[in-house]
Amino acid sequence: MPTISVTDLVKVYKGGIRAVDGVSFEVEAGELFAFLGPNGAGKSTTIKILTTLLKPTSGTAQVLGMDVRAHPAAVRRSIGYAAQDVGIDENATGRENLTLYGHFYRLDGVTIRRRVGELLELMDLTRDANRLVSTYSGGMRKRLDLAISLLHQPRVLILDEPTVGLDPQTRGHIGDYIHNLGKELGITVFFTTHYMDEADKLADRIAILDHGKIIALGTPLELKKEVSGDVVTLSLTADVASSSDGALEHSRELLQRQPFVRELQVLNSGLPITINVYVEKGETDLPRILRAMDSDGLTVQTISLSRPTLDDVFIKYTGRTMRDEEGRRTTWFQTDRNRRRLR
Amino acid sequence: MNIFSDTWYLFVRHIKVSLRTPIWLFINLVQPLLWLVLFSRVFEGVVNLPGFTSDSYLKFFAPGVVIMTVLFGSAWTGFRLIQDMDLGILDKMLASPVSRVSIVLGRVFGAVAILVVQALLIFFIAWIMGVDIATGFPGVLLTVVVVVLLGVGFAGLSNGLAILMKNPDPLIALINFITLPIFFLSSAMMPGELLPGWIQTAKTFNPVSHAVESVRSLVIVGYQWDVILPDLLILAGVAVFMMAWATSMFRFRTA
Repeated sequence: MPTISVTDLVKVYKGGIRAVDGVSFEVEAGELFAFLGPNGAGKSTTIKILTTLLKPTSGTAQVLGMDVRAHPAAVRRSIGYAAQDVGIDENATGRENLTLYGHFYRLDGVTIRRRVGELLELMDLTRDANRLVSTYSGGMRKRLDLAISLLHQPRVLILDEPTVGLDPQTRGHIGDYIHNLGKELGITVFFTTHYMDEADKLADRIAILDHGKIIALGTPLELKKEVSGDVVTLSLTADVASSSDGALEHSRELLQRQPFVRELQVLNSGLPITINVYVEKGETDLPRILRAMDSDGLTVQTISLSRPTLDDVFIKYTGRTMRDEEGRRTTWFQTDRNRRRLR
Repeated sequence: MNIFSDTWYLFVRHIKVSLRTPIWLFINLVQPLLWLVLFSRVFEGVVNLPGFTSDSYLKFFAPGVVIMTVLFGSAWTGFRLIQDMDLGILDKMLASPVSRVSIVLGRVFGAVAILVVQALLIFFIAWIMGVDIATGFPGVLLTVVVVVLLGVGFAGLSNGLAILMKNPDPLIALINFITLPIFFLSSAMMPGELLPGWIQTAKTFNPVSHAVESVRSLVIVGYQWDVILPDLLILAGVAVFMMAWATSMFRFRTA
């Protein structure tokens, strides 16, 4: 029996937005499974359905064989959940927050004290346990949040953007914790992220999500293999004589005529025009591209060669890069919290 | 039963966290004292009006200040629920097995407990300023019952509206829209008999008037059970209704 099993899941919000549009996947026991996609792809909505916070419009979602709609209470008891926003009371200490959730998870007093001690140790928070969370850094808050989600020794951990809003170094640390939870404690981890490198490094399998649909699913290696060869990224400016449209058309035709070019992907059609050229062997094909462009009077401004990344997989399926496309809505209270965190 | 233990833990949490923002408690305490001192001077002459039931406006107004503190204190509690929604605190709780009803009960009772302490402090200061309470200490304890019922009623209303609105801005407008008229159309500042006819009619449907009049009767006259008992019954009815509404809203909206 898979640990998480989702079939034809659909969520339509009021106003007709199809946030999740027919998603199916299974997560096996002990697996680290990542949902990768840009903002608004439907990652958080899927997580909210799995954690019983939202009801699906149609389709089914099961955790450890229990349907989230039919047995929400049982699902809540068996999962650990850490959201994108660290939902921790700032005016309570780390230990108080943990203890409160110990009660919510129906642990007895002795067990609570033992588990709280263990988890503070595991997350390197023992020294700061009795300080108010308002004095914690972003990384410490995240660790405390993870600790809370582990109190009742769940077999499944569901994490929504576990590293968003953290500096790169802290991101790496949290990544290590997640890796250890999965690989050393044998917990099944389902997490979402919009960081390609993170999914690549941490996940056993990845589902790439866009506009509420899974567009690719497999191990990081499998996914990257779909984009074979190398990627040459070049940018160019238009000549004084021709418009940017003209220069784009010209270079596109030219590149497509080259026998060694497998695929083209225009990343930016404005200035500077940016194009990904997928080729067999970058080392020999890069100079050939340059020569061809030069002899046709197109001025290449920058050119670079890279191995395919998950970003290229995303581009291959959607024709877009997976950058932060829109900012998240911040409310009064969050702005206030962010301001304090910056101090 | 989980609902009782969860309510208890959330109640304790609410009080602890509130005590850690002392500036908020301080303002909530200083403001009624300002009313007490300033208004009793401003309206000093009102006692000479024919038909006024008390010889000192301070004595007349002290129950009004207590009830005002409870009304405004409880009516704003929903704001904190919205804050918890925005910060993800609520979602985190809802993804745990905690009793849904307790999330509302714990915060409402926690807020009301703090209001009870504030009310007692106001009584104490009014007593220092020369207000002797007709029914003495037992009467003050009975006013605590009034405070609890009124506080639970309006905290329930406020939390229910918070779930409905989900946004701070409309909630602020709505709370002002409800509490200001309900306070000024009550008999908190003027005896009911001196109010125009239609306001007197409105007053009988106003829980704040019932709270003020029962407390005032305990402070000025004595145990007028024919006044106090119906008032208590009405306030209890409002409290139960509002809490039932708020908790059902909460269960309905949070799936």
